[in-house]
Amino acid sequence: MFSVSKSSSLLAHRVAFTRSFAGARDKHTLVLVRHGESTWNLANKFTGWYDCPLSEKGHVEAAEGGRLINDAGIKPNIAFTSLQKRAIRTLWHVLEETNRMWIPTIKSWKINERHYGGLQGLDKQETVDKYGKDQVLTWRRSYDIPPPTVDKTSEHHPSNDERYADVADWPEEFTESLATTLDRVVPYWESEIAPELKSGKTVLIAAHGNSLRALVKHLDGIDESEISNLNIPTGTPLVYELDENLKPIPQAGSFLPLTGRYLGDQDAIRNRIEGVKNQTK
Amino acid sequence: MKFLILLFSILSAVSAFSPSFLGSKLSNGLSNVPSSTCLEMKYTLVLVRHGESTWNDENRFTGWYDCPLSESGLKEAQAGAELLKNEGFTFDVAYTSTLKRAIKTLWIILEENNLMYIPIINTWRLNERHYGALQGLNKQQTVDKHGKEQVLVWRRSYDIPPPALDESSEYYPGNDAMYANVPKDELPKTESLKLTEDRFLVEWNENLVPLIKSGKKVIIAAHGNTLRALVKHLDGISSDEITGLNIPTGVPLVYELDEDMKPIAQDDAIAPLTGKYLGDLEKVRERIGAVAAQTK
Repeated sequence: MFSVSKSSSLLAHRVAFTRSFAGARDKHTLVLVRHGESTWNLANKFTGWYDCPLSEKGHVEAAEGGRLINDAGIKPNIAFTSLQKRAIRTLWHVLEETNRMWIPTIKSWKINERHYGGLQGLDKQETVDKYGKDQVLTWRRSYDIPPPTVDKTSEHHPSNDERYADVADWPEEFTESLATTLDRVVPYWESEIAPELKSGKTVLIAAHGNSLRALVKHLDGIDESEISNLNIPTGTPLVYELDENLKPIPQAGSFLPLTGRYLGDQDAIRNRIEGVKNQTK
Repeated sequence: MKFLILLFSILSAVSAFSPSFLGSKLSNGLSNVPSSTCLEMKYTLVLVRHGESTWNDENRFTGWYDCPLSESGLKEAQAGAELLKNEGFTFDVAYTSTLKRAIKTLWIILEENNLMYIPIINTWRLNERHYGALQGLNKQQTVDKHGKEQVLVWRRSYDIPPPALDESSEYYPGNDAMYANVPKDELPKTESLKLTEDRFLVEWNENLVPLIKSGKKVIIAAHGNTLRALVKHLDGISSDEITGLNIPTGVPLVYELDEDMKPIAQDDAIAPLTGKYLGDLEKVRERIGAVAAQTK
């Protein structure tokens, strides 16, 4: 059967790779990068799983993020990203800047952005005008209240996209909250990403605002009420040092509640973290 | 008609066993099956040689040295990407080497074709032929030092490799993190086209063939000598003929293979290949001729 031989040959690649790093170090390095600005961020539309590209600025942000990682002397051995081009392209910029274009890259829908259900494709301001500011704020920032669903007649339903159609049993009605995003991110972290770190590899993850929120919530034990308002600046590398149990090691210069440390101009980053809060319309 | 019904029922029974792969892909495979010859499966394989690198420009022996594409090489990749897009190609998996000039070519193709999400496998077995102790040397200086005849032998002989490099050399792959997971005894210190072929065919037989036979549409972005190795194998080209065969950079080369991985003849193929280049075939013919003239 094809799927067995493919997974066993890919597994063979990865097992061979993993063995050489056996005998883990005391400290494991994890680098997270949120993708740069996308064309739909610019157009102020709810994006979710819609596959729009980086904007001009997003490309610049991603390349700069890559340079920062390179300047910090971090050498990723394996990369994880979503199935969405804005994250993949961000990753490619980072790999180019760090001269690591050859490392294995694993792509999975499980670290996609949170799906925005029936709001996907809608203009944010129009949606506020239609439903009211409070309702929209709830949908955007509630931990576990998802936006309205889409059904299988919608172009935004995963069953209508060939890259997702066969990978899961999609329900008739689909949407996601940060809670349900976490429900798919954390098991993926446990089964796919954590073993790579434990084997001694430096792991790079290029992903999205909400999939990274889910991950840092898990790593840093951040409360549900706090995580929804936590903003991770785009294109800004966030570096975690983890102990042998993959618990984060506190670092000087990190911005609470994260134990991860951002690379780059710290004042500018602090402003950006504060600044994004003010975008909530 | 009965044949078609039989085929459909077999395929739907099989797809019930592994819906995650065969369901959608089989319908793609079916679209390749002419209604008159129902049970013939046909597989499409696309090959692309990366464009000009910065060291091509500098006239240096490159081999495994990891130099980037030149400006011209980037444009070639973009042109190849557009040719594929215009013909409506799609892919499920991409294979490439560990060298950035091939990887970048692939990335440009995937971006243009809106296929960035497909898995990419990087393997050293698709790397360019290793140039041994000649790596990094300027071609003209090497000719001045060793003589034109000797250099021609190293460049164009099928099975005579250039002198081996030493393990202390910066170009010894064992000193490069890129190859940390490859057993040292498999890493070359020099290669001929024959040795390149031998180590490439391991990947072809173990991983590429099963992948293609499963119905996955594969694109391979690689190098002059690994693609020579592949087309030699597919088309049964002789050792003498293969060393003079030139595969133009950045031009997609499309093979149709039967279920035994034998190429199916195509109109407009340029002998001795049965694969078909995309784009302006007159220009392709000129380029095939022109590269032959470059041999100093």
